[in-house]
Amino acid sequence: MPTLTYLQAISSALRDELRADDRVLLMGEDIGTFGGAFKVTDGFIDEFGPDRVMDTPLAESGIIGTAVGAAVVGMRPVCEMQFSDFISCGFDQLVNVAGKMHYRQGLAVPLVVRLPSGGGFSGGPFHSQNPEAWFMHSPGIKVVAPSTAADAKGLLHAAIHDPNPVCYMEHKHLYRRVKGEVPSGVFETPFTARVAQPGSDLVVIAYGAMVPVALEAVSDGLDGASVEVLDLRSLVPLDEEAILDSVERCSKVLIIDEANATCAAGAQVAALIAEKGFESLDGPVVRVATPDVPIPFSPPLEAAVLPGVDRVREACRELLAY
Amino acid sequence: MSSSPTDLLVDVTMPQMGVSVAEGTVVAWRVEPGDRIEAEATICEISTDKIDTEVPSPASGVVTEILVPIGETVDVGTVMARIAVGGNGVAPATPAPAADDPSPLDGGAGGPSTPEPKSSSPPAPVVRNGNRRYSPVVQRIASEHGIDLSQVPGTGRGGRVRKQDVLAFVDASPVEEPPLHIESPYRPDPVPEPVAGGGELSRMRRQIGEHMKRSLDTAATCTTWIEVDMSRVEAARARLGVTALAFVSRACIDAIREHPALNAWLEGEKYTLHTDVNLGIAVSLGDDGLIVPVIPRAHELSVEGLAARIKDIARRARGRQLTPDDVYGGTFTITNPGQYGSIMATPIINQPQVAILDLEAVVKRAVVVTDADGNDSIAIRPMTILGLSWDHRALDGALSAQFLATVKRQLESVS
Repeated sequence: MPTLTYLQAISSALRDELRADDRVLLMGEDIGTFGGAFKVTDGFIDEFGPDRVMDTPLAESGIIGTAVGAAVVGMRPVCEMQFSDFISCGFDQLVNVAGKMHYRQGLAVPLVVRLPSGGGFSGGPFHSQNPEAWFMHSPGIKVVAPSTAADAKGLLHAAIHDPNPVCYMEHKHLYRRVKGEVPSGVFETPFTARVAQPGSDLVVIAYGAMVPVALEAVSDGLDGASVEVLDLRSLVPLDEEAILDSVERCSKVLIIDEANATCAAGAQVAALIAEKGFESLDGPVVRVATPDVPIPFSPPLEAAVLPGVDRVREACRELLAY
Repeated sequence: MSSSPTDLLVDVTMPQMGVSVAEGTVVAWRVEPGDRIEAEATICEISTDKIDTEVPSPASGVVTEILVPIGETVDVGTVMARIAVGGNGVAPATPAPAADDPSPLDGGAGGPSTPEPKSSSPPAPVVRNGNRRYSPVVQRIASEHGIDLSQVPGTGRGGRVRKQDVLAFVDASPVEEPPLHIESPYRPDPVPEPVAGGGELSRMRRQIGEHMKRSLDTAATCTTWIEVDMSRVEAARARLGVTALAFVSRACIDAIREHPALNAWLEGEKYTLHTDVNLGIAVSLGDDGLIVPVIPRAHELSVEGLAARIKDIARRARGRQLTPDDVYGGTFTITNPGQYGSIMATPIINQPQVAILDLEAVVKRAVVVTDADGNDSIAIRPMTILGLSWDHRALDGALSAQFLATVKRQLESVS
């Protein structure tokens, strides 16, 4: 089993899909000749040609709108937003056209939008956001967010095979930092949560870049407490069964979002636990998230707003002592 | 505390009442912290496994603190309260403080000049886990296991009971055997209405129950009966004006002299043969229960002496005037519930003794009597059946039969 970075795992999935299925095509800004802003599709144009690895104008609305049309007539388009922040320009095509197509006209839209998201590298307010909750709030769209190399590949395969529009949140900070063994060939990771580390005293629920933060935070300094880390992997659909199972076993819950706190994915998880996990709780459901501010350019200020290992560990200590 | 440095604190301890009493339960306090009490006045009431009694104050002074709450059982010698007496241990000469002064401890220090009168109330006992709230999971676990959460020590923030605490409590509790059938066909009978009364058992009833159960769980109890012709006893007791019980008591003492193995204690592996016969006599207290005061050195008493002592202890028992030593040290017990006409019983041995004799009613019966020439005839005789419960761990049936035969011979030869 080869060891790949998170970024290589994404490339591998795209390459395998392009090779396996003629209906798959890629669209995006500078993904062809340049190989993509993060080099995910480096060299793809040479193997698959400009008709399947398509450089587009700087117009997200056009990219997604074109892809919706292609998907409706049977293609499997995968669109790259150069930064997830830019999807606001394609919002109408994705939320109103793609998301409602099946409900209005009974047509499947097998479309994947890749969203390089998240901060941690001084990208500033336009290049660091985590917009997944915008799409969680829009019926008709699935949202997934891998945290490991294997899941990056498996979830992307599953997203491409899914008949619905899928927002694929790929965290830029993990691109080259996360490595792992990744099965070769085409395989699907189900849209369910994963117990990244089993435990019994407290469960930390996270997804994307917050999963490695959680694992590091609970690795020491907690007096040997048994802390579970649950990696959601999929935000829509949300794996209620796995969440409630962890809550029932651990009874104390910490939820981490790198996104701004209000109405973030973690808020939905907290609401679910409050409603369906109440009788299992032995403490308040605590959230750690980025405050409701734009992401600062300044490295120390950015580090101050994003949930880090120290903040998560302190929150764990508080909850364990409660 | 603003008590003067010359004040002396005197401890009020759980008294030693009789050799066998190891602990006592506070039943009532007659004083509160701050109250003044005179030496020898009753400061509290206590209950031991044998008797209830009052504890006299060891000194005159002011009660500074009460350390043992009502209902708590503590070992003999445990400090239950403290009394501040004046300097040199002498009760303060100044008048008792005014009724509205909450700091009477100043009384011994010279009266009104004391500057900080309001700060001297004794420290309130720390209320652990007071006014607690419980999380949903803790409440659910407690309800599933029928746990009283106020009994669960908390290790969370501020003594909060965490899930781990209630789970540990569940683990520490004895596990109930699961029923063989989840759905038992048994349905409890409905309680017939109306209920005439009831409620919690009295302390005396609980103690009697505990003693009786412990005896049955401990001893290998057997009961042997013998029939006795009481003609001579009846004639003699009419003449002396005493009860049949006094004659039976004397006969038992004489039989014990022949068979001393019945005048013994068996405590586990330890067997103690007694020289003195300290005779316990069961005295009914009516609805309240039963108590067994002891006539020490009963072997030194005549039938008349025994009759007088039995009358005395019965009167004092019914007047609740027994002291703990009055119920201590019995070596053999007689119970006599025959006044209602019952004829046989299987008494329970009064631990750690090894035998108890039961005297029931004396009833006129037609019996076969044999005269000196060997001629049988039917006669009307006052008869009784004596029952001896004995501990098969300490002795065997032959000895109990011999003992009863000796008692019979003594009673039938009373002159």
